Amino acid sequence: MEEPIVSTRTARWSSYAIAFVITALIFATAFYASTYFSNRRIADIRATQDEISTDILSLETQFDLLEEHSCADIAENTILPSALSSLGSQLSYMESQRSTNLAELTRLKSLYSLLEIKDYLLMKQVAGKCNLKPVFILYFYSNKGDCTTACENQGYVLTSLSETYPQLRIYSFDYNLNVSALQTLISINDVEATPPAGGLPALVINNKTYYGLKTTADIEKILPQLATLQKSATSTSATSTKKK
Amino acid sequence: MEAGILITYTLLFVSLYFEVFLLVSFLEKRSQRRMIGAAERNEATLPSVAVVVPCFNEEKSVAGTLRSLLALRYPAEKFEILVVDDGSHDATYFVAREFESNAPAAPAVRVFRKENGGKHTAMNLALANTKAELIGCLDADSIVEADALMRIARVFDDAQVAAVTPGIHVRKPQTLLQHMQKVEYRLSIFNRFMLAALGSAFITPGPFSVFRAGVVRELGGWRHGHSTEDMEMALRIQKAGHLIANAPGAVVHTTAPRTFRTLFRQRTRWTYGFLRNAFDYRYMLANRQYGNLGLIVMPLALISVGTGIYFFIRTLFFGAISLAKEFARIQSTGIFPEPHFGLFYVNTSALWFLVVAAVAMVLILICLGSLIGTGRRRPPLGTPLFLLFYSFLAPLWLSAALVRAILRTGVNWR
Repeated sequence: MEEPIVSTRTARWSSYAIAFVITALIFATAFYASTYFSNRRIADIRATQDEISTDILSLETQFDLLEEHSCADIAENTILPSALSSLGSQLSYMESQRSTNLAELTRLKSLYSLLEIKDYLLMKQVAGKCNLKPVFILYFYSNKGDCTTACENQGYVLTSLSETYPQLRIYSFDYNLNVSALQTLISINDVEATPPAGGLPALVINNKTYYGLKTTADIEKILPQLATLQKSATSTSATSTKKK
Repeated sequence: MEAGILITYTLLFVSLYFEVFLLVSFLEKRSQRRMIGAAERNEATLPSVAVVVPCFNEEKSVAGTLRSLLALRYPAEKFEILVVDDGSHDATYFVAREFESNAPAAPAVRVFRKENGGKHTAMNLALANTKAELIGCLDADSIVEADALMRIARVFDDAQVAAVTPGIHVRKPQTLLQHMQKVEYRLSIFNRFMLAALGSAFITPGPFSVFRAGVVRELGGWRHGHSTEDMEMALRIQKAGHLIANAPGAVVHTTAPRTFRTLFRQRTRWTYGFLRNAFDYRYMLANRQYGNLGLIVMPLALISVGTGIYFFIRTLFFGAISLAKEFARIQSTGIFPEPHFGLFYVNTSALWFLVVAAVAMVLILICLGSLIGTGRRRPPLGTPLFLLFYSFLAPLWLSAALVRAILRTGVNWR
């Protein structure tokens, strides 16, 4: 056990200064570590996007070779839906973190949107050529604070739906993202962000736009084809379309 | 950066700074300490000591306390025990009287009885009835180890020392709450040791603090001190320019509250007393004349009260909002949220790292408290419980005490 230390109460400024420097170092380390891990995540996302780009390019090449190969060679269930939804989930998580570099995140989201559009178009072409009947949902949301609760809830509903029906292809888009291809998609589908003409969240299903929160039951009613899709045995994978 | 986040980071910085400051000071003081002579003392040179046991309805515990005092290794002719029954309604007085009559060869035991007036009046009665050089206090819910008084007495060799506090441990913890308090007391052992080493102790706790009787008389005896006479006396000693030392090897075991209700009342009283006394002695704050006590210890102790309340309210507020949102979402979508798994989703925010750093620092201080108080670094078994839950309990009495202090309602002992 320690023996008593008896000393005067005079303040030692050096102790104050040393403690301040150490505390500041702890703070700096915490901020540095946080930034480091945030950058690591962004690097992971970038790597996943690169993989998806390669997959899409591969799919496009396969598609070009269709005339020489059977449709059976192009599986309807490519790795893309789960990879894309996983990427969406990761981007959504990053967006919820205050420490994330917003400019970098926006760039990643733009690329993600482009990949989604490419996958969507390609799958439509594959479906046409190979006589497949994939089921698509285009989902438009906003992060500007005009659709906070409804968009979050719609995200949960769609995530749950994609877990139940792994073959369902859900593409989510930030309505306000300044990507020309996305704005063209919005324009083609006549999606309006504000009432009375529209209002987010918006779902485009079978070329028809639906505004406002749609529950699982609503979507199952709109999309009777869902009944023809195989249900997932377990719905534990952390897939998401966006915005949780 | 929003104001809430800025306040959070500022308070975290201040809390962490104080912990680091204590740790740095500990390492500095250890390397340059002036040891109190550990050699056996000649009994003839030992000061005479009177230990006061103020009692109010302590019939069940006073006997154990007195037995432990009678077992103290100290020359009987230089040691007396003064039991002051402060208007008990039970048999405390008669239990104490049995020791008075049955201890002929042991230290003198004298029992006084008076109208209930509070602990400070019991102490003052004893002070008026003793000629001992040192006067100590031992609450009737505490027991001392045999060499405790000897370890304390020799610290008074330094003429500047006006009071010496012991190392206080929780006695036979049984409930989870008592086990958590055992950890808290270990942390207090470190804090008390370091504050004394920095000349900044502002509490001379009831369980076995010993005072130079002449100084106490000069200062006018004990006062009510907003039901925390031990804090008021310590601040008065500091004001007068004397030193308060700590002897962690002088081990005292005290009974900690068993239930949350009794703990809440006890801690509300302590915090209330601290806030009111800090206000009474506010001229010490940021005053260089009082050294570390005025410049860092008292200001940061006050800030820590606000910090505990702020973090608690913030956690509750955002927790409630989050729960309400989840509930509303489940209601509107019928879907239960599923957590994300995987390394990608591990929280790596700076705030989280800082909270972990602050908790780790508390753990280090608990280990040092164990080292100082027991000679072993291992923290008590209840440490995880303490680290997880105590910060959610403490704000309850901090808030209650703050409200009472602002309204000046006063607090009861029991």
